[in-house]
Amino acid sequence: MANEEEVKYNAFLEKVKRTVFVDELTPLASKSVLESAFNQFGTVEDVILVPNYLGPKEIPMGVLVVMQTEEKAKAILDTLSQFPFMVAGIPRPVRAKPAKPEMFADRPKEPSRRVLCRWIDPNDPDFENAKKIKRLVQKHTAEAAFVLKNQLDEAEKLATKQSETATAHHKKFEMMYKLFHDGVAEKLANRYNINMRSFPYR
Amino acid sequence: MSVFSGSVLVSDGFEGLEFKWGKKRRVGGKNKDVQFYESFTYDGDEYCLHDCVLLGDPHSGEPFVGKIIKIWEHSNKRAKFSKQVKLLWFFKPSEISPYLELVPDVLANELFLASGEGVGLANINPLEAIGGKCSVLCISKDKRNPQPSDEEIKSTDFVFLRTFDVGSRKILDTIDDNIAGVDVKFIFNRAGCEKEATAVQKIEADIKEDRDSLKPIGSSASASVRNIEADINGNPDSLKPNGPSASASVRKIEDNSIESSDYGESRYGCKEGKEKCHNQLATKKSPVAEERSNKDSGVQEGTTHNEHDSCEASGSKGNHWFGKAQEKEVQKLFTKQKSMPAEVRYSNTCEAFGSRRIHSNSKTDQVNGVKKQLTKQKSMPTEERCSRESNGLDDRPQKKQKLNGSVTVPDGRNTKILQKLSSDGKKDMGSFKRPRDKVTRDEVLPEKSSFVKKQDLGVSVFEGQDRKTTTEKGLSKKPSFDGKRLKCAEDKRLADDNERNYQVIEVTQKPDAVNSKWFRPLPWEESMREAETQERLVLLQNLDPTYTSHEVQDVVYSALKEQCTARMIECIPVNTPHIGPLLPRLPRLILLGSRHHSPAISKYTSFKCDERREMPRLQHIALRVTPLNLNWQWNGACTKPDPSMRLNRYLRY
Repeated sequence: MANEEEVKYNAFLEKVKRTVFVDELTPLASKSVLESAFNQFGTVEDVILVPNYLGPKEIPMGVLVVMQTEEKAKAILDTLSQFPFMVAGIPRPVRAKPAKPEMFADRPKEPSRRVLCRWIDPNDPDFENAKKIKRLVQKHTAEAAFVLKNQLDEAEKLATKQSETATAHHKKFEMMYKLFHDGVAEKLANRYNINMRSFPYR
Repeated sequence: MSVFSGSVLVSDGFEGLEFKWGKKRRVGGKNKDVQFYESFTYDGDEYCLHDCVLLGDPHSGEPFVGKIIKIWEHSNKRAKFSKQVKLLWFFKPSEISPYLELVPDVLANELFLASGEGVGLANINPLEAIGGKCSVLCISKDKRNPQPSDEEIKSTDFVFLRTFDVGSRKILDTIDDNIAGVDVKFIFNRAGCEKEATAVQKIEADIKEDRDSLKPIGSSASASVRNIEADINGNPDSLKPNGPSASASVRKIEDNSIESSDYGESRYGCKEGKEKCHNQLATKKSPVAEERSNKDSGVQEGTTHNEHDSCEASGSKGNHWFGKAQEKEVQKLFTKQKSMPAEVRYSNTCEAFGSRRIHSNSKTDQVNGVKKQLTKQKSMPTEERCSRESNGLDDRPQKKQKLNGSVTVPDGRNTKILQKLSSDGKKDMGSFKRPRDKVTRDEVLPEKSSFVKKQDLGVSVFEGQDRKTTTEKGLSKKPSFDGKRLKCAEDKRLADDNERNYQVIEVTQKPDAVNSKWFRPLPWEESMREAETQERLVLLQNLDPTYTSHEVQDVVYSALKEQCTARMIECIPVNTPHIGPLLPRLPRLILLGSRHHSPAISKYTSFKCDERREMPRLQHIALRVTPLNLNWQWNGACTKPDPSMRLNRYLRY
């Protein structure tokens, strides 16, 4: 029994080594898209989407990509750290990190581990400490939520700014194309004796 | 000041709901076209000035709570909403959570009164937006505030003691003399809140009288004062139903809970509260039976009883034996009442954590639950039960003897019960009717069957019933385990405090009984959503990230004696508020779908609202295992807004 558990656990650890955690994916990416995207690095054994149960929806999705061999997983890590890689039209290039056992929700139990717990009552000296920790955790949660919100706001701002610039550029080019197309630019060039050949947008 | 306008039925046709103006007040406005009123009847409920009302919020479904500070009608019909009310708002903790971060000990059903000046203090709403009545008690220890009785605190929908300054956005502990033009005396509890006098209370009053006749103590002067008070309350105008649920109530649960929080109030405050409660009992009596007007002594018993209660409460005070003696007396009295056509259940839970002096923060002092259930059928066989438990944690030898098989969960939480809004009752009932629960109770506690029945009958089932119920259930479910617990509790008392004999539970593997191999379990997503709709999804935070889902299941089984399916939330380096790399020891989350809705869990669900609207709105109990030393703690939980709440079309703007 214990032996079986150990085997299972070791197999799991081995699987963790072959796995890459990929972050900053669009929440719309699907399993098949991801599989095809990572197939170029090697055979993908499994893709595990990490569900986001608690955070806001806009948060980029994370995914665990289980490769067939450890080397392939390393290759992904190397490539993604050097080159920007986009999956399914996400705004930012994905990031990759080696996976950790904690990232798996259904991981097996560590063999021969005992968990002890106890209730504490209010006149226990630890009670105050526990309360303090509790408050600290609450504070941390609030802080993290705040930072996350700011981050998302920033991202939103950047995105709107970029799209504004893009539309502005598009308009400019459209206008120029129009001018060249209906000959207005040429007429003007003749009028002011400018050599059209030097004009870059011809 | 007012002329009763008679019964002018205004059938305006809004939703066909009955509407009737009550007393008129002055006429105002530019052209004298605004008529102010003092009360009105809407959909069967009478609303008076300074009543607290619920307003639906179409977004979250969770109602807002406001206090009526003005009622008027425009006589010119051009106004869009001719009938309007001005409401002074109460904030829920969820609404002002950013400002509550450093506020300790927010009670389960605590509200924050808006104060100061600025947006959100008060505003004008169409009268039709009112969704129902609710009771909000002020538990501030302010001298100007008539202290509420414990029963009232137990049965109230909300309490408040602090204010939220909408201008400076700060929580204030004091209440100003004047908020939004309302004198503070209307903000505090009304002196001598009335409750409707039902037959139940009549019987109760009889009981009281019987008891009283045995112990006529006290001064007649104060009694006469009370009689006057009673007379005032006898006035049918001021007799108002105490919340929508009260009218339908067959049984009346009276729970006394004394909360002496860490705001440094003295025992005296509690006593005062007790006295108040008895005053009320007295005032209730008078409209019912006038011939009892000379029943001065009846009121006075309150003092004795009060003494008795406070003795119980303050185990650390040393007059415990006296309290016990008193209790015996009461018991005797109860037996005397066997001839009464009523089943009296008197259960008293007393939890006195003797550590008050050391831990100013432990705000639970005790819950003195006096539950009286009176059947309406006179043919019911008389049954009387008087049980009592105490988990006083001080190591006084007297206290040990009282530990009659009670197993309590010594958590630091206040046992303040989140009494859901009355309309919620239905839902709760549903959950209590779940077959498994019923079966357990019925088969294990056969003598309690009537109790179960009544619980179903009950209009509002307390979410966390009494500790007693659950502990008894736990006891019957796993006697061996609880036996161990009990023994350990006793050991604890025997052991010197300095030695601190911890009872460490070794987490054992939970039996696989529920997870039958015959059926493939539902995929997690599905079962989670299902659990969410059934409100048995629970979020545990702050667990050791190295735990596996199975280990958590085992932990929950060992510590809470609950079968559950758990799933660790992946620890990923995303900056979600709860998981993430930002800070080293961020809480870990667990979704826990208990297989059956369990009162044991709901017992701990007090309240910590969650504003996240996106994903499953999690009910999060926050049973926290701190990563450091595995101490369990409850934090709070989120209850789902009640969809059965009468929805309104109008927003609070």
